Amino acid sequence: MDASASTRRDLLKLLGTAAVIGATTPNLLGGTGHQAPVRLTLLHTNDVHSRLDPFPMDGGRNAGKGGVARRATLIEQIRRQEKNVLLFDAGDIFQGTPYFNLYKGEPEILAMNRLGYDAGTLGNHDFDGGIDNMVTQFGKATFPMLVANYDFNNTVLAGRTKPYKVFVKEGIRVGVFGLGIKPEGLIPKDAYRETVYLDPVDVAMTTAQQLRQQERCDYVVCLSHLGYKYEGPTISDTVLAGKTRNIDLIIGGHTHTFLDAPVAINNLDGLPVWVNQVGFAGINLGRLDLTFERGKAALTGQSLEIKA
Amino acid sequence: MKKYVCLLLLSVLAACQPKGYHLADRTAQRIGVDSLTASADSSVARFLQPYREGLNRSMNEVLARSTARIEKGQPDAALNDLLSDALLQQARLRYGKSIDMSHLNYGGIRNNLPEGDITTGSIFEVMPFDNQLVVLTLRGDMLQQLLDHFANGDKLVVGGIRAKVHGGHAHDVVFGNGRTLQPAELYTVAMSDYIADGGDNASFLKNAVKRETLTYLIRDALLDYFRQQGKTGQPIKPVSDGRISLD
Repeated sequence: MDASASTRRDLLKLLGTAAVIGATTPNLLGGTGHQAPVRLTLLHTNDVHSRLDPFPMDGGRNAGKGGVARRATLIEQIRRQEKNVLLFDAGDIFQGTPYFNLYKGEPEILAMNRLGYDAGTLGNHDFDGGIDNMVTQFGKATFPMLVANYDFNNTVLAGRTKPYKVFVKEGIRVGVFGLGIKPEGLIPKDAYRETVYLDPVDVAMTTAQQLRQQERCDYVVCLSHLGYKYEGPTISDTVLAGKTRNIDLIIGGHTHTFLDAPVAINNLDGLPVWVNQVGFAGINLGRLDLTFERGKAALTGQSLEIKA
Repeated sequence: MKKYVCLLLLSVLAACQPKGYHLADRTAQRIGVDSLTASADSSVARFLQPYREGLNRSMNEVLARSTARIEKGQPDAALNDLLSDALLQQARLRYGKSIDMSHLNYGGIRNNLPEGDITTGSIFEVMPFDNQLVVLTLRGDMLQQLLDHFANGDKLVVGGIRAKVHGGHAHDVVFGNGRTLQPAELYTVAMSDYIADGGDNASFLKNAVKRETLTYLIRDALLDYFRQQGKTGQPIKPVSDGRISLD
């Protein structure tokens, strides 16, 4: 590469920058061109519950649906079409078919490795084989388990999970963190032992702010196993969205909620947070296609209409 | 020269330009995973095959045989009695000491057992949930509350006692050793953690005197029980002993 080519490239980069500025501050340079927007595709599952095979053809409502091998084909097709794909799971990977009872979660995790999951969070049923089994099985994962509101310091899981991870796709910084449900009364104490549950709203506020500011994330995703919505004030994805800021998307689980499309809930700043959940057992794969443009949008500019 | 001025201007502007990206558009899709949307990926299917074969082998294990179909029913039936007795026996073994009675959630019995071979798969169909077996220590008055709670709606499934039900109230409660229910005495009850934790609106159980987890799934207890029955060589002859009767 010669020097002039390099200079030309720099100039083009700068011109591209100028074009964006031109778009936001019109007539400064008289530029009207647009830098190509960046597309990001987020795929997600929740509450797969060891359903590696499709439901049996027994005349039941879900007969023939799901199956990890089919999900693999779908994900592969999308990866061939889209440059920037991230694949997440919102917890309860384990429990629900004899696969879990027999193999303690190994085929579930190894299958997720094959499908190229980028991250997951912990569901209450992921504790069902006990916390030692979590060390064994999640130790086989090639993707991180993200959970910010469980303090595992006094357990064997210490250091085995991360609160969050930042993914960079074509310059877009996507911050992803996880939230787990309150174990007490839901998970046998013997299974979660000395795990300390921290308030999801407090943790979400701190973590999302850290991702937005220190980690300079353009988009913040919460993988949550809190559940979509409850009667009363119990913390849920719906409550969380409204009580926090800096979160753009909550990929939820636990309540096995089949949302036809993501639901938008305004956060503390009046900005819409997308909340989504796609049922259970791998019957569905959630797909969100996001388009990013250079620079910061005006606050009103983020108030997007929902297209489903 | 003009070019450099332009570059300089651009550099200044670039320095002021806000970093990062903003979301300009978003769309969502819920993709159904079925035979119409995608065929099975052959490599993942191959990976799964040995696990599935192992699963089929273990689910097809014949644990015991039954001379007839074993069905659940209200207020009492052969399956109710068999499962609650099995639970009581296994809980006592695991606990290492006597337990007064067992309780099962009627709605938690999800299928009947077939005539002939009872396989591991049969037990999974009867008890698909992964509820843990717990032992609650209750005062007699709270035990009465528990019995009434489930007697109301004729959903009382118990082992170790006989009782009569009238108008949603359990009375004439007699334990295996002939004792009757005393409000101020303490009793141990083996049951599902789901109920012990207040499931099925039994939140009053949260005030139990003591709660002990056996770290033993109810289904595992049943599997152990039926496997043991099979080893005796005698088939199961399903009968209801009428431990719960309406009057």
